Formats: sequence, structure tokens, C-alpha cells
Amino acid sequence: MAKILFINPLVREEDDPRHVPYGIALLAAIAMRDGHQVQVYDENAWRKGADVREQVLNADHWDVIALGGITTAYGSIKTIVKHARATCPDTLIILGGGVLTSLPRDMMDFLPEVDVGVIGEAFVTLPEILSKIDAGQTDWENIDGIICRRTLADEQNSDTGSELVISGQRTLIPDLDSLPYPAWDLFPLEEVYFPNSQVLFSEEGMLAQRRLDINASYGCSLICRYCYHLGIAGDMKYEKDENNNIQIEFDKPGNYSRTIRYHSPEYIVGLVKHAYEKYNLDFIGFLDENLMTMDQYSKRTWLKEICRLWIENGMQPTCIHDGIEHDENCTGVHWSGTSHATLCNKETLEVMREAGCSHLIYGYESFSPHVMKTIGKGATPKTNMRSFFWTLESGIRPIPNQIIGFPNEDFQAIYDNMAAWEKLGIVVKPFFATPYPGSEWFTVYRDWIEEQYDGNLEKYILDLGDATRITAVISHNFNAVELLGLRELMMSFDYKRIGEYEQYWRNNHNIPEGEPSTIFKDPVDKSTVKKTTNIKLVGRIDTAAK
Amino acid sequence: MSNLLKGNFNTEKTVVDTNTSEESLEQRFEKEALKKLGGSIAFVAKKEVHWGDNDDSKKD
Repeated sequence: MAKILFINPLVREEDDPRHVPYGIALLAAIAMRDGHQVQVYDENAWRKGADVREQVLNADHWDVIALGGITTAYGSIKTIVKHARATCPDTLIILGGGVLTSLPRDMMDFLPEVDVGVIGEAFVTLPEILSKIDAGQTDWENIDGIICRRTLADEQNSDTGSELVISGQRTLIPDLDSLPYPAWDLFPLEEVYFPNSQVLFSEEGMLAQRRLDINASYGCSLICRYCYHLGIAGDMKYEKDENNNIQIEFDKPGNYSRTIRYHSPEYIVGLVKHAYEKYNLDFIGFLDENLMTMDQYSKRTWLKEICRLWIENGMQPTCIHDGIEHDENCTGVHWSGTSHATLCNKETLEVMREAGCSHLIYGYESFSPHVMKTIGKGATPKTNMRSFFWTLESGIRPIPNQIIGFPNEDFQAIYDNMAAWEKLGIVVKPFFATPYPGSEWFTVYRDWIEEQYDGNLEKYILDLGDATRITAVISHNFNAVELLGLRELMMSFDYKRIGEYEQYWRNNHNIPEGEPSTIFKDPVDKSTVKKTTNIKLVGRIDTAAK
Repeated sequence: MSNLLKGNFNTEKTVVDTNTSEESLEQRFEKEALKKLGGSIAFVAKKEVHWGDNDDSKKD
């Protein structure tokens, strides 16, 4: 059986490692289930540097070194694959995850050390690669969901380089419950992750001592233009270009597809109970893109059933059961997740609180009507406010994320946001609108983004972080300097200085008082957009049918 | 024995933690100060200091 080394690359270096990589933990469990020999080196958790990595690479004769991660892990991945290739010249290096899926051809060009890329979901693709290794085969292009290199030869059979080959599209697994539980034991829980359990989003999160995260669903029905799903949400399309080469595409203006999948409540609560009993957890973070999408698709039964089973299985926190303030003596499992302004409802929120939900992340993004109309969120300032109060009333803390620098962000939007923050008591340092690869706005603005990085896409990828820092600007009205300054002034509610700058800005752009403070021009010619939206529910429809 | 590698079999060689030094006081201080940067919280990142070539800048 194949001997495989998973390496979790460094991400968010400025922060402590807080999250076990869920995808790698699942893939390690799948590989072990299939009888392979598996080791995990969690470089993000350990942060031990090149000397220790050298030992890891030399610790055995690896058949496979497998890495994956999100786009912002690219810098670390680049370092690791170079090291791995130099130390293990005969080992197959596989890269997967969002970083590869969002830009398969570019990534394979940037990283010549990578032999095989896994595009989209790896739950079936990786086992098939490992089976081929066991069989001594290397015809990777016969496996769906692959990008690999094909050696080119001339008439004399001399090696003349290689070309990239993309195999057929991998189908998403329909039954998520067929997945094993993540191999948490292969990660440094006691050494690193549990000591970093704290999440400063709620009182219960702040006091968390033993937290793990789970993913209860995949997909989101919404089409936020700055968001990306990277092939696991039915958003990915294989299209042939003018040279008959397959290109991987994601959301484009007017062209969206989604596949909604979620675990059964029984699987979710069974997994949490297993972790609760094994690791004595006190907190679970749901990593799901948007819990409320799943709840809506299950006809409002999914979350209620999870909560019912949560309590039935003895995991309701005692502070809630007893109606007392939470403290370190509380037992049971508190939890958090993601919500959506329009899709949530009051009744479900109350049920969630009763089962121990402490906070919900809301991507409110903006409180400005004309901005919200353009971002694909399916929410309005009115639904933002409604959900805000519903959530607070239920006893759950809403986490009101905000973004500035949207393409049509203007002074009116800035004033709208500040007014809402004052009214709602929101204390926030907004993210900057960032066009991550795989998002619609990356596709729309790609030329402009590359222009901002001297035509060098890799430079942009290396610069990407978690959007708290400014990278590529997609605002038509404000440049990076203006956005940074405006954010600072917004946070101190300095209407006066922003107003003075607005006059200066209007003079510079010849826009008189009384007219909208914008030079935004939609880059998408709507008359040429053919609208196709295809959202389907796959797999767990039993709950929905109840 | 180090547990930097975790898996379902014993590797041929053991990985030893050669990077065992605890975070120094200097590192701890600079990390904590960075989190609160602003106003009167400013500091010199000592490892980043570029000493000039001029001997006068290196005073023992």
C-alpha cells in the first residue's frame, strides 16, 4: 500500500494556528480507511522551519507527498514543494485544494515541482491516485479531476518538454455521510490546537478551552461576486477554449451553478458526540459557508433536527439548561456558525440558542442599498437589520462583518454604513473587497488586477491575505490610499473630514454637489449576458422530505 | 521522542525537534507589542536593524 505524507502548509502567519485543516484530516482518514500508510506533518501548527521539514522529508521513503490549502497558503506551498522535490526527487508530489483548483494551469506553471494537481473535490480522486500507485501505474490523466504533465517527444523519441493535461471533471460525491470522521488524532490537538481554542466572537468562544471545527455542509445558494467555492459547491465548469484546451471556469456574470449538499443531522451530531467524548470538547465551530442555505433547502428542518439531537445527546451547555451566566464550570458543547440576513428566521435562531449556539457570523458587508444591489448577496439593509435584532433577541451574538471598496462604493455608501454602525452599536474594522481567484470579480477584473502587480499574477497571489490588508483594488471610485484613509476615518465616525475630502474628490473628478459621487461604470455589458442559474440539491434529501 | 509526525505506522527515522528553543523574551515582547501597535506602542524590531557600515554606528 502507498506510503503518503500529508503536509499542511503555513497560513496566516501573523496569527496563532487555530484550525485543524478539515480537508486534509478527512483525506488522511480516507487513505487510512483504504489501508494506506499515512503520516501528517502539520507545518502550520508546528512552525518549526526548514531543518525539521528536512527531517520529515527524510523520515521515510514516501510514495506521495500531498499538500493542499487555500490560495493564501501559496507562499508556504511554494517553499515546501521546492524543498520536497530537492529532497525526495522520486516522490510523487500532489497539490490540491482551493489554491490549485482556482487556477490549475497557472499553479502548475508556477510550481513545476508538482506532478499532479487535484482539481475540485479530492475524496474520490486521491484514493484513485493511490490505487494507481499500488498498481505501479502512472497514467494519471485516466483519473477524473486531474491536471498533470504529459511528456512530449519528437520523432526520434527525444524528450522535448511537457504539456499540461486536464482529465475529465470529477463528480461531487452525492452522499456526504459516506465520509469517515476526520483523522483529528494525526494533528497536534493537545500541543497546539486546544491551547489556541479561544475565538473572540462571544463570551463562550472567549472561554473555550477545547475547540474543534466541523464542516456540516458544502455549498451556498448565493452568488456573492467576491466569494469563491472552488469546485466543491457545483460552481466549477469545464469549458473548451478556442484552441480546444479545457479551461476551468467559475462564476461569470449571469452564469451560476450550485450543488447543495449537507450531512444528515445524525451524522453531524454523531461526529460531535464522538469528539466530545473522545477529546472532552467545550466548543465546536461550524466551518460551513452558510448554514442557512442548508436550512432553507431542508424546508427548515435541518438545523432544528441538529439542535434536537444535540440536546438529546447530552451536549446542551449546562449554563443554558440552568438559565445561568456562562462560566468556566459550564459543561456541554457551545457552538458557532454562519448565517445569512435573508435566509435566517427568528424561530430557528431561538432553537439554535437553546442548543448552545453562541455566535453567528453574518456577512452583512454593507448597509448601503445601492452597493448591496450589486454584490449578489440576496440581502438588503432592511434584512441585515432584521436579522441583527432577531439574533440578538435570541441570545446569540451576531458578528456583523463589513467590507469596503466594492466596485461602486461611494461617499453615500460610506455615510450609510457609518449611520448603521452608530445605530446598531457595531464596532468594526471593515475588510477590503478582495477579488480572490475563483470569484466572479476575479474573472471580471483579472486584467486590472494583474496590471496592479506589474502583469505578474503570482505576485498578486503571494500578496493575498485575509482581506484585512489592502491588495488589488476593484473600487472604481477610490484607490488604495483613499480606501485606507477612509476606513480609518469611518472607524472614528469622522463625518467632518470625510465630508471635506468628498469636496476635494468631487473637484478632482468634476462631479458637482448633488450628483452621485461616483465614476462607476459597470464593466459587464448586461445586454450581452446570457443568464443561466442552476441550483440543485444533491444527496441528503431525507430531511427535506420530512 | 518527538511527535511532530503523526500517523498510522512508524517511520524509518524519527523526527527530532531541533527547533526547541522557547520563544525568547525579546520575541515575546515584540509579538505582543505588534498586536497593540499604535499611539505610544512603538518598538524596534531588533532582528531587522540594519547597522550602518560606519564604525561610528557600532558603539560597544
